[in-house]
Amino acid sequence: MFNLLYKEFKLAAHPTVFIFLAFAFMMLIPSYPYYVAFIYTCLSIFFVFMSGRENKDVFYTVSLPIKKSDAVKARCTMIAIIELVQMIVSVPFAILGASINPNADGNQAGIEANVAFFGLVFIMFALFNVIFIPGFYKTGYKIGAPFVAAGTAVLLYIVAAESLVWIPTPLKSFLDTTAPDIMVKQLPILAVGMILWVVSVIASYKTGAARFEKVDL
Amino acid sequence: MELLKVENLSKKYERFELKNVSFSLESGFIMGFIGRNGAGKTTTLKSMLNLVHADSGRITIAGKDFKSDEFDCKKNVGFVLGGVDYYPKNKLKAITDVTKRFYEEWNEEEYQRCLKRFELDPEKRVDELSAGMRVKYSLALALSHNAQLLILDEPTSGLDPVSRDDLLELFQELIEDGEHSILFSTHITSDLEKCADYITYIKNGEILASTEKDTFLNTYRLVNGKAEQLTPLLAKKLIGCREHKFGFEGLIKAEDIALAEGTEIAPADLEAIMVHLERK
Repeated sequence: MFNLLYKEFKLAAHPTVFIFLAFAFMMLIPSYPYYVAFIYTCLSIFFVFMSGRENKDVFYTVSLPIKKSDAVKARCTMIAIIELVQMIVSVPFAILGASINPNADGNQAGIEANVAFFGLVFIMFALFNVIFIPGFYKTGYKIGAPFVAAGTAVLLYIVAAESLVWIPTPLKSFLDTTAPDIMVKQLPILAVGMILWVVSVIASYKTGAARFEKVDL
Repeated sequence: MELLKVENLSKKYERFELKNVSFSLESGFIMGFIGRNGAGKTTTLKSMLNLVHADSGRITIAGKDFKSDEFDCKKNVGFVLGGVDYYPKNKLKAITDVTKRFYEEWNEEEYQRCLKRFELDPEKRVDELSAGMRVKYSLALALSHNAQLLILDEPTSGLDPVSRDDLLELFQELIEDGEHSILFSTHITSDLEKCADYITYIKNGEILASTEKDTFLNTYRLVNGKAEQLTPLLAKKLIGCREHKFGFEGLIKAEDIALAEGTEIAPADLEAIMVHLERK
């Protein structure tokens, strides 16, 4: 498994996987729809699959002495690492952003980059994973349709999530703030997000592997 | 030792069917897998390695069942679909660095020897290699993880005659130790005349023959005769018979040769056999 993961990062990882990590700096932009930074993460994952197809990664991988399901496991683990690292790298920028741009009225463009936001991004990644990964492994080569489906779901989700803070309700003052005492109360949202995300990675692997097993290469 | 055994491999597609493909290969020999384009060569090879799911059949490699021991079997096989065409923009050393991790018995000395012998530069990118060099690189990888059985899908197509000859000579060197075997598919009959010990002939997804090359060649004769010599009985036995202004020509099984008495009878080469067998 470690060898396959080594292969994923040494051969299969598209340069944008590393470049887009730098987009964590977007957390510093005052009043910005911070989801954008994480949409780029989904895009870099898409690029990994696209360059994989260009490079006949599937054929190379299955010619190695491995099980087909392990190829899917390695790819899912790689995606989980990319998403998690993007989150971790973004946290210090979010903290720095909140301290240099204190918005008394909250983020004017969407939700503040706070604890609840990170939970909501985990849910966004979960949605992307469960649609895109099994979608790809249905054929082992079609990436366009699964990406359009996953991308649409992600965009609709973002619109819905941002609506929670655009519409002036008591929810807005709870969600759209970086006040430490309220952020503590947002922790359950983060926890739910993380749980859903972990479930999504496992489910994507299970469904993806089962589908890929049936594919004739 | 029987290195490879394929038994009753079947796979049904909408418009094509692989029907009960069976053959076997001992260690120390080269088997040519021959058939025209679309006869099922690649499908057979892919089904053998579980890349395509056969409906039924059993593959045994060095005594181990492929389905239950896929791991061990794959370690024992060097499988090359054409040349190396994956990761074309990566350097050979990067691909090797990843590939070798998957094989416990990777032999770095052997790999270095292969690089030298095949004049491969590890600093080159895959797409900088000629078609012949790509096949050689994949052979270098297979030999360095000590694969006993090399399965190559059309390794010689697209190569110039000199590179082809060079590669076929290499095949023969590789099996000299008696431990390695090579199964390679091709539609270039002269490749097989040069180096194959065994021939497995596939037509429309069915194995027509799988036997020693000389036995296969001796099964048939080429018949040339005048129009009046073409008796109805002979016409029935002729394979791929073509009539022309001066008479007819066709292939006949050696056992039926008595029917062609008086005609011009000549030994058939692989190309003639293939052309006549496939003629409608």
